[in-house]
Amino acid sequence: MGMRELPSIGRRRGSIVGAVVLAVAVGVVLRSVMGGPLSGIVSKGALSSTLRLSVPIAFAALGGIFAEKSGVINIGLEGHLIISAFVAIYAVNTTGSVWIGFVAGVLASTLLAGVFAVVCLEFRADQIIAGLAVWLVALGLAPFLSTVIYGSVNASSSMSFERITIPVLSEIPVLGALFDASPPVYLLFLAVGGSWYVLNRTAFGRWVQASGENPQALDTAGVSVRRVRYASVLLSGVLAGIGGASFAIDLSQFSGNGQTMIEGRGFIAIVAYLLGNYNPIGAFFSTTLFAGLQTLQIQLQSGFLPSSLVQTIPYLTVIVVLALVGRTRTPDAAGDHYESGEE
Amino acid sequence: MSGAPKRVKEGVRTVLERLVRASAFERILISAAALVLAVLVGTVLVLVSGRMTTCSTAAATYFGVGFCYDPVTVFDRLFFGALGDPMNPLFRPLEGEFAPPFRAGWSPFNTAMGVTLRETTVLVFTGLSVALAFRAGVFNIGTQGQLIAGGLASALGLLSLAPVVPGGLVGSLVLVPAGLFIGALVGGLYGAVPGVLKAYADANEVITTIMLNFVAAQIALYLVSNYFKRPNSQVVETVPLPDAATIPPVVFDPRTNVSLIALAVALGFAGAIYYLLGHTALGYDLRTSGLQPAGAEYGGVATKRTIVASLTLSGALGGLGGAMYVMMILGNFQIGVPAYGFDGITVAILAGNNPLGVVFAAPLFGIIKSGSIVIDTTTSVPPQLVDVLRGLIVLFVAMPEFFRQIGHRVLPEESQTPGGDGDA
Repeated sequence: MGMRELPSIGRRRGSIVGAVVLAVAVGVVLRSVMGGPLSGIVSKGALSSTLRLSVPIAFAALGGIFAEKSGVINIGLEGHLIISAFVAIYAVNTTGSVWIGFVAGVLASTLLAGVFAVVCLEFRADQIIAGLAVWLVALGLAPFLSTVIYGSVNASSSMSFERITIPVLSEIPVLGALFDASPPVYLLFLAVGGSWYVLNRTAFGRWVQASGENPQALDTAGVSVRRVRYASVLLSGVLAGIGGASFAIDLSQFSGNGQTMIEGRGFIAIVAYLLGNYNPIGAFFSTTLFAGLQTLQIQLQSGFLPSSLVQTIPYLTVIVVLALVGRTRTPDAAGDHYESGEE
Repeated sequence: MSGAPKRVKEGVRTVLERLVRASAFERILISAAALVLAVLVGTVLVLVSGRMTTCSTAAATYFGVGFCYDPVTVFDRLFFGALGDPMNPLFRPLEGEFAPPFRAGWSPFNTAMGVTLRETTVLVFTGLSVALAFRAGVFNIGTQGQLIAGGLASALGLLSLAPVVPGGLVGSLVLVPAGLFIGALVGGLYGAVPGVLKAYADANEVITTIMLNFVAAQIALYLVSNYFKRPNSQVVETVPLPDAATIPPVVFDPRTNVSLIALAVALGFAGAIYYLLGHTALGYDLRTSGLQPAGAEYGGVATKRTIVASLTLSGALGGLGGAMYVMMILGNFQIGVPAYGFDGITVAILAGNNPLGVVFAAPLFGIIKSGSIVIDTTTSVPPQLVDVLRGLIVLFVAMPEFFRQIGHRVLPEESQTPGGDGDA
């Protein structure tokens, strides 16, 4: 009943401060390097690139929100992105269908989430260590399988998504990018809205929130905490899987050198939803900030700054944001194992 | 029915229970079980991936199905290959053949063993780095970045020091400690950054340390490729360090790039960290803030400073690992540092975050790392198999409850029986 009020106490301040500071910081960076190579920064192309780069981070962030709201911190989102990216490319190549590849990638990520859920919920593993293990397993497994199958840690496919261009609307300057994108971008808009709706307007959403804030109350109300958490963690696997599969198919390749092509996007996603205060819409906007920085970074690389230094910008920003936002109010029971009294 | 076997079974169970209750023993059991389980899952992976690839002749046939990879060969290479094949093929005690267990001509100072020990040396440092932070309740995933920072700094420092220091033994006595000191200093400073951010800005250290790994790699790439690149080199690397700045090999072939002195230093550090944690005021502060942060604060521990101290020390150990890697293995600094920092997570977790446990876990993982090189040269299985094992081991150690539940199934109805005769 009254559960809806529970999670929203005193959590807004941090993220608003963070978002404002970040926006100012981005503005300063932009102004100081404006002109020259950056004159085209607010262009349709830049927005389009930002949206594409938002896809993996935002989907992983949405997944992370569900898991953490339910009380399971899924720090292994990076692993989900990595495994879905590879499996998607493999499946695209074997089936010749982009969409079957996409679904296969999502399934792989969901399977990994299932393993993570069992480890955390049945065997009471420390969620942080188990999440790190999921990342490390994927970080090893994807390049391993790629080498087994393709003889190299990198794999490519010859197919990608077909762009969907909405007539007239796509002609709008700059914002036209919103209507001239590949399917995952549209899917992202749907997922952001859908996640917000599910979390805030449905019974399942209330269960998820209660499971993370006050599992005893949920238990008393006759809803299985364990089931809610399983569902949430699996959902985080599905969402992150969509992100990873889309990213790889969009680029028509998987690269598994070093930290793989995902390059920390799963961890950036965590910061994105912290900055967005566990709100899917907030997470989406903070994602566009990070993705915008990556777009900027790509543009700067062709310019006057050494690319290796420019590449540190998104990572440094994540650190600055984390320091400014500080500890957001995580769900009360996040990280804790909950044992129902009935067993 | 038969009372005697039952009593024996009771007795065995009592002993087992008592042993299992001892936390250290339990941890060792769990680590061993996790390792075995990781190898079993690895076996399945090798078999399955052996079906996914193509080969002209099957490497192995099980249950009438041919596989391109033979897990028995793979794990034989992984473990025994890393030791230089010590086993005598005639030594088969199970079949009543008691030939000498060691193969004639096997020397413990062979090349593969050298690789194993040099990997072990670096892993002791990264394992200690992760374990120390863990004990203080801090997740340092940034050992990799701290190792890169320390390794690069020690290489650059040594290159600038070398011209003013004489060569030979005197030079070594100055340069080697200087290189280690610079590595520890810079690694420690790089570790202090997420420490300060966590202590004073509440920034989650898991994320900041991972981000700093990327930053360290990029900055190293920038510095070396723009300012310190060895001319005409195919890879991004610095010029070689002078001989006096490298750690001299003992016993082993110099080409193996292993030094028992370095290994001894590493083991010395394990002892020192063990002493620090168990017998000093700082160690007490670190451990109590790891166990019970609120209680530690109440008990007068300056938790914020302790967090910074733990990450600084942890970073210094990572930096030392980097300096060792540069001065013992590479002889210069190269871009593309192996993932010693992540392996350190596995070593620390296998060791139950105990510095003395690291002394045992590091060689174990050193064997696996060295074995991956043997696998790469002698089989067609990708050496990345080891990276999968790295994650699996962490995963399995993280779920002690799994092994407890299996234990309960193997030894049923124990501890639930009223009277608790195990304690009698």
